[in-house]
Amino acid sequence: MYNYNEFDKAFLDERVEQFSAQVARRIDGSLTEDEFRPLRLMNGLYLQLHAYMLRVAIPYGSLDAAKMRQLAYIAERFDKGYGHFTTRQNIQYNWPKLPDVPAILRALADVGMHAIQTSGNTIRNVTSDHFAGAAADELLDPRPFAELIRQWSTDHPEFQFLPRKFKVAITGSPNDRAVVKAHDIGLRMVEKDGEVGFEVIVGGGLGRTPIVGKVIRDFLPQEDLLPYLESVVSVYNLLGRRDNKYKARIKITVMENGLDTYRELVEQEFIGRRALFNGVDQALLDEIHARFRRPDLAQGRSVEAFDQAYGADPVFRSWADTNLAAHKQGDHAIVTVSIKAHGETPGDASAEQMRVLADLAEEFGYDELRISHEQNVILPHIHKADLPAVHARLAAVGLATANVGLISDIIACPGMDYCALATARSIPIAQQIAERFDELKLEHEVGPLKLKISGCINACGHHHVGHIGILGLDRAGVENYQITLGGDGTETAAIGERTGPGFPADEIVSAVERLVKAYLEHRSSVEETFLETYRRLGMAPFKEALYGEVKERHAA
Amino acid sequence: MQPNTLHTGSVAERIGFLNDRYRNHAAQAVLEHALNDSDVGNIAMVSSFGAESVVLLHMLSVIDRNIPVLFIDTQMLFEETLAYQTEVSQKLGLTDVRVIRAAPAAVAAHDPDGLLHKSDTDACCNIRKVVPLENALSKFDAWITGRKRFQGSTRAALDFFENEEDRRIKINPLAHWTPQDVQDYIINNRLPRHPLVAQGYPSIGCAPCTSRVAPGEDPRAGRWRDQDKEECGIHFVNGKIVRGPLPTVEDEPEMNTIVTDAGFAADEWTHGFVTPDTLGGGGAAAVAVDLASDADPAVLAGRLDGIDLIRVDFPSFADGRGFTLARRLRLMGFNGRLRAKGHVIADQYAMARRSGFDEVEISPELAKRQPQDQWLARANWQSHDYLNRLRGTA
Amino acid sequence: MSRRFTPKVVTANHLLEGDAVWLTSDNAWTRTMSEAQFLDDEDLANERLAYALTQEADVVSPYLADAQLGENGPEPTHFRETFRTRGPSNYAHGKQVEVA
Repeated sequence: MYNYNEFDKAFLDERVEQFSAQVARRIDGSLTEDEFRPLRLMNGLYLQLHAYMLRVAIPYGSLDAAKMRQLAYIAERFDKGYGHFTTRQNIQYNWPKLPDVPAILRALADVGMHAIQTSGNTIRNVTSDHFAGAAADELLDPRPFAELIRQWSTDHPEFQFLPRKFKVAITGSPNDRAVVKAHDIGLRMVEKDGEVGFEVIVGGGLGRTPIVGKVIRDFLPQEDLLPYLESVVSVYNLLGRRDNKYKARIKITVMENGLDTYRELVEQEFIGRRALFNGVDQALLDEIHARFRRPDLAQGRSVEAFDQAYGADPVFRSWADTNLAAHKQGDHAIVTVSIKAHGETPGDASAEQMRVLADLAEEFGYDELRISHEQNVILPHIHKADLPAVHARLAAVGLATANVGLISDIIACPGMDYCALATARSIPIAQQIAERFDELKLEHEVGPLKLKISGCINACGHHHVGHIGILGLDRAGVENYQITLGGDGTETAAIGERTGPGFPADEIVSAVERLVKAYLEHRSSVEETFLETYRRLGMAPFKEALYGEVKERHAA
Repeated sequence: MQPNTLHTGSVAERIGFLNDRYRNHAAQAVLEHALNDSDVGNIAMVSSFGAESVVLLHMLSVIDRNIPVLFIDTQMLFEETLAYQTEVSQKLGLTDVRVIRAAPAAVAAHDPDGLLHKSDTDACCNIRKVVPLENALSKFDAWITGRKRFQGSTRAALDFFENEEDRRIKINPLAHWTPQDVQDYIINNRLPRHPLVAQGYPSIGCAPCTSRVAPGEDPRAGRWRDQDKEECGIHFVNGKIVRGPLPTVEDEPEMNTIVTDAGFAADEWTHGFVTPDTLGGGGAAAVAVDLASDADPAVLAGRLDGIDLIRVDFPSFADGRGFTLARRLRLMGFNGRLRAKGHVIADQYAMARRSGFDEVEISPELAKRQPQDQWLARANWQSHDYLNRLRGTA
Repeated sequence: MSRRFTPKVVTANHLLEGDAVWLTSDNAWTRTMSEAQFLDDEDLANERLAYALTQEADVVSPYLADAQLGENGPEPTHFRETFRTRGPSNYAHGKQVEVA
């Protein structure tokens, strides 16, 4: 776990002071709203439908008990007693008041947290694999590199006013749990001739123009990471379009100029940028590596308690089957705590729940917690013998829902219940779908199915990469929901395909039910997943389930 | 002469030819050639008969007094302006001054009491000025204006010929003129001055929205005083009519403030600025270059040693290209003074310094709104700098 | 090109609280939409918006929102504006509980 050193702390203190002064200058008129907006956005502060919203960074999704408790404190002291975990491993508070924001940032800085660059046209909070440092399939822990990128991008003087926002994701595993191909820059660790470096992917993204990123450099040595990133971003800063916000992301820059041209410009820029880094960054990286050492896990402890509970308690067994993942050390497990209880708001955790998670991390989990882009909380190192106790403690506060990876483990953006950009609501749709499948008692039979909902074309709910994606739109003053099928956010990334006309709010839940029933009817075996069935059969049977028999048409 | 048949090619192509052809011509020569160049087409001059208008009108009268001159009477002008218009037209012998007014129906519909300016100056300008001018210009292929480079950062790269949305050519014969040039020309040619100039109105618009300015005050301060407005509607940015405040204002003199770690100071650079295009081969004692935000700094490759100062334009504080331009100039080996100019706010001072700039040049308006202490608050830009720490230069 | 004008209200978010507010006929900002000035004339609507745009010290990003005249005053016509008078649908938070 990286804890902030004196440099980081001094930096945060200064930033809190700066933002406090900026708030005061906005109120006294020194700053116009036009000038203040990018400054508040740079500090994570949005103005939404009903209130300001503060987006707090959880860099690469890692935090400890003290930080989680502080998040709980802020929720109670300055908000309405809860926080919302987002698809970018952040937490959002929906009700802060402008004059309180400096105090919130102060409270965050006290535990080495901040809201810096969680918004604005700048390099955003770096995201990573939420199983990093624990997953059995991992080549190298990506978090030290993510931390290095955080330090490099924080306050980078050239890149605070880019043409548009810029998102970087990094994974150290062949199984991509960080959706790296849907980022402006995706970094995937690869091995070449015994050396571990990065495959650099550029120009991916969802939103209005969903594009799967392309490889711009197939092997980047570790020590070239910062100068290379700096080259990619500086070329974008000068070349990216500023005349049209919908064409300003790097995916469009790469598309319009061609990947080869873009690559050439980057390599040319790299020559000069390389010389700006003299190796001090690598020395700092070594220090960072030391802070991410895997905790000294218990050795030789019996797992009998686990086996016993698994055999005796069907509720525990069901939870263990869905919510656990393989750990590097076989007698440990990675626990995904579902923040998706049926009928609740996806990603919302109360202050009490946050405190319980903090306690569990401290008592059983080597003081480590992670937030996933799927809006769940991870306890990455739990000894199997402790799992029954952990499960019981979670169940007491409504956190033991056994649905991770199932249809009710829905990703949903805040939608028009909160967001000023939204064109329709997402949360009620997610709540209703989860409740419907809970009533049907079908979701365990259906198995792995990723359902993702966005309340507008900007796709914060990642609907493009949902096996079933739902996009909420405003059709002539009425909420309407479009369905896409076949999306995939993993290493086999694909953009979902639209089924056809959308459905009104009161029909979308039944439409999803028809889709799932069509899958159950058509799957070749219990093992074939929804996505596999879709890939085998294509759109036709699902379209039929949605819209009824396609009528014969007599072509001219 | 007004050849209608010879100009071919798109507006953009013709502009390219014209700018190349007249790159080094003086104002009068540009005007003369423009009026005779088949690539230009049907042409008119637009004049407000304001404080400086007489310069271009005089030049025009010397070359061809039959060229149409469009004068927009907003019906809100000072009596003095109307009298001055008659006086100048007669004295210069202009034969085709066309007074342009808004359609009475439009005025009746939107501003029957003549009070719209009190609630919405933009709407007032729109009805009385922008729309009538646009209608009048629709008959022409090109128009002549008095715009000048010194008037602001986005005009720093102002060309003699500009493309207006591929529809029309805009000709700015005075692009390179300084305020002193204007004054010298009026004196040398014994031209009549607008009567209100002597009464404290260095910039003259409509009567309700113009007031006097105190000596030393920004000459444009009297326009739309106490209103959040600096410009009339007749400006086209990227081919589009832009209304409301622009960073550039007509008749604005050079009164900018230079910000360094020591705070505010006046600009002591007196040798003027050239563009990369007009940068000579060397030999000059002191050379300063203006670099637009969309320029490729590679155009200065190999010539950096002869340059003392490079001034990079920031058309908007939200446009961060200038920061990377500065870093790239430093990477190219430029060791001279590097200045950021335009809409850079106090909160960006540290970014500017860390990107390689030495100083920032800001407008009087910004210096007033964000006084020295707000800039000095970031004079500590060298501390708490992640990037320099990673680069080992902290 | 003539576009029919539909009645409006001027609305914005409060600078300090961040919540939705509406412009009244006496140049105040209210948290209750029905107290807003109902603007059924296009020129008047533009004039009121122009005024609102000068009120940076109190509000952020004013705009004209469609409205209709109900029993108690202006009412929203679009669901987005309806939500702004109420609050979110997943919790009893915001105006639905804070404004009588």
